Amino acid sequence: MSPDILDESSVIWFGPQHVSAHGWAAKLTIVGDYIVECDPNAGYFHRSAEKCLEFRNFRQGSMILERICMMEAFLAEYPYIAAVEKIVDLEIPERAKIMRTIMMEFNRIHSLQFWWGQFAGELGLFVMLLWPWVDREYSLDAFEELTGSRHTVSYATPGGVKYDFTPKFLAKMEKALTRVKDRMPVFEDMLSGSPTFRLRTEGVAHYTAKQALKWGLSGPNIKACGIPMDLRKDDPDPNLAYDMIDWEVPVINNEEHPGESDAFDRLLQRFKEIETSLDIIDKLLPLLPEGPIIDPKARSKANRLPEGEGYGRVEGTRGITTVWLKTMEKAQTPWRAKIRGPCFASYYALKHIVPGARFADFPAIFGSLDPYPGWWDR
Amino acid sequence: MQFDFSALIGGLLDWVIGALFWIWGFLTWPFLWEGPFDIFAWFGGLLDWILGALLWIWWIIKWWIIWILDILNGTWALVMIPENFMFLFRAIVFPGLIFVLLALIFTVWYTRKIWARLQDRRGPMHMGKYGGLQLFADAIKLMSKEIIIPDKAKRWMYRILPSLLLVIVMLPFAFIPWDPYWNILGSPTSPFPDLSVSLVLVFAILTAVPVLSLLIGWVSGSKYSLIGGFRAANNQFAAEIPMVISSVGPAMLAGSLSLYSIVLAQTNIWYIVLLPINFITFFVAAIASVGTFPFDAPVADSEIIFGWRTELSGIYFTVVYFAEFAEQMLYSALMVTLFLGGFNGLPFLAGIANFVIKWLVVFFLFIVVTSSFYRLRQDQVVNLCWKYLLPLSILNVVLVMFALVYIPGLVPLVIGG
Repeated sequence: MSPDILDESSVIWFGPQHVSAHGWAAKLTIVGDYIVECDPNAGYFHRSAEKCLEFRNFRQGSMILERICMMEAFLAEYPYIAAVEKIVDLEIPERAKIMRTIMMEFNRIHSLQFWWGQFAGELGLFVMLLWPWVDREYSLDAFEELTGSRHTVSYATPGGVKYDFTPKFLAKMEKALTRVKDRMPVFEDMLSGSPTFRLRTEGVAHYTAKQALKWGLSGPNIKACGIPMDLRKDDPDPNLAYDMIDWEVPVINNEEHPGESDAFDRLLQRFKEIETSLDIIDKLLPLLPEGPIIDPKARSKANRLPEGEGYGRVEGTRGITTVWLKTMEKAQTPWRAKIRGPCFASYYALKHIVPGARFADFPAIFGSLDPYPGWWDR
Repeated sequence: MQFDFSALIGGLLDWVIGALFWIWGFLTWPFLWEGPFDIFAWFGGLLDWILGALLWIWWIIKWWIIWILDILNGTWALVMIPENFMFLFRAIVFPGLIFVLLALIFTVWYTRKIWARLQDRRGPMHMGKYGGLQLFADAIKLMSKEIIIPDKAKRWMYRILPSLLLVIVMLPFAFIPWDPYWNILGSPTSPFPDLSVSLVLVFAILTAVPVLSLLIGWVSGSKYSLIGGFRAANNQFAAEIPMVISSVGPAMLAGSLSLYSIVLAQTNIWYIVLLPINFITFFVAAIASVGTFPFDAPVADSEIIFGWRTELSGIYFTVVYFAEFAEQMLYSALMVTLFLGGFNGLPFLAGIANFVIKWLVVFFLFIVVTSSFYRLRQDQVVNLCWKYLLPLSILNVVLVMFALVYIPGLVPLVIGG
């Protein structure tokens, strides 16, 4: 980049009022149709979630987490529960473990359905924006049946889960999952099978596995490079049921450029994620034993926690989500809480991925990385 | 009554001189008048002067009213000549301005409804039967909105350009042969027959559209608008050349550049049967030229908010929105005219009914295509137009040329009865 090129550059703000940038702002320097510099800015979505956590007790805290990312509400709230369960010794019933895992995967499917629509909408096909969102309604109906809330489910609680699976819920979940399975071929046609989609995404937002590791990407963004980095397999939570069954980590390894990924690979990766989630739910449902759903002493145990540190993490839809808690003696609230969202890394990776791309590719780039502003601003 | 300029000047002079005399009298009274200053006599002079001025102004108003009445009389006399009356009726009511506006309103409803169906929604439902009045509600809402003009916008241009765009897009409708008899310029027996070059003229008028899109983007004073404006101009320049060349095929078959004659030549066979590829190139180029999905890079909402329309608000946005739909309607009508036999069709239906049925079918195709593809990047749009559509359409012209010369029996078939 010679300095005289920059003389003809102009600066365009992509956000915070931009229709496509919901709560973030990237400063783009443009020469002609090409972006030469991208400066992602955080801070437009800040709601001091970490401070709020210091004023909520251990049964309330997870509800703050849910509101950071509504799409993966259960996956977002679970790290907090896991952190609390590390500090205090709770016995999670087998049934609750499996129910948590099923709900987690169900929520992941819902979040990915949302992402399909959002990504297609950013690439300009409104039909594909709405078709997955229609299917998403079935998942939301099932959530509503189980918890009374469509997005912010607040399902897990320290020591177990809050509500038992009812036959009605199981029927609704079956309906939602069948719908997802039935429509998968349609969506594969509409997304990966569409020639215009390939034109827009192939070779766009290209990075290698090494770069991804350096930038701290996680979740589907790094699995698309061929690295099977998945917390569900690498560090299975003892209070979840991922180690009870046999399943494969979803990894895409493109033969044309092994160890690298572009926007199209990340789409295929997310397709595979949904397939894996469906597979895990299918395998876990028959294992569901009868019994209690919560540790009977959970309420008294989680009321006041001993001094300690807890660190809970989970493989979210967008990457690794962690919560760290520090408690003092007889604590009713955490002394300090720290949230590490998956999207800070993918948002600031734009700084390295975007330069050199065409301006029109910018939505494809950030859409494929799936950043959610709640995760970096909190 | 003619306007008498010298009389006007004469009156003015009288008045000025009177005023001067009065001032002179006012200035000289201490020296000339006997006795003390008589205020009543002085006011008497003032009243005379005001009355004179009023009379003079009344004379001007009277002359102006009479002049306007004269113009109205003359116009009415012209209008009441039967040929003129029929022409005006067609131009304004049917199938002219009001018909096109009603069709436009219907088209917006039709588009929204079909889009909604394709997207698993219901579309407008609440205003009127099946949401038929939704567009009126939208128009009222948009018109009553506050108009916000950016500080950096060129205000005069900003105000005038959207309307100009709509006017330019509506003008070519005058040349569409809707019906053997009911058209604006066309029926050979009327005193206003179709121009022998109406096909060329339609495209000539439409060349102003990219310029206006670019200008609207430019004068809006926003970077998003400017980028969108350049993209729109680029898009339309790339798309209109294949479109014009695709329209050469039907013109060569019919042996005429008049749209009416092209339709008349299709009594035996519709040209879509002979020129299917030409129809497709015209269709794709038309969509690209309108700049709707999937060629909507000029107004790509996920990149440049709303492109060259970003800063338009209220009535200006409404006008530009209508212009886009009018352009789609115009291209659909052109496709019906050039390839689908225009008003030829079912013999027991009126010509215009045939035309409108085909028009709706073509418009339906338009909507289905516009909602099935992802938005192409600007360079990909230009690539498609220059590398694929243009060679195909030129090839088609060459093929038509050879076919007309070497295939016996083709000419009587395509000339029509």
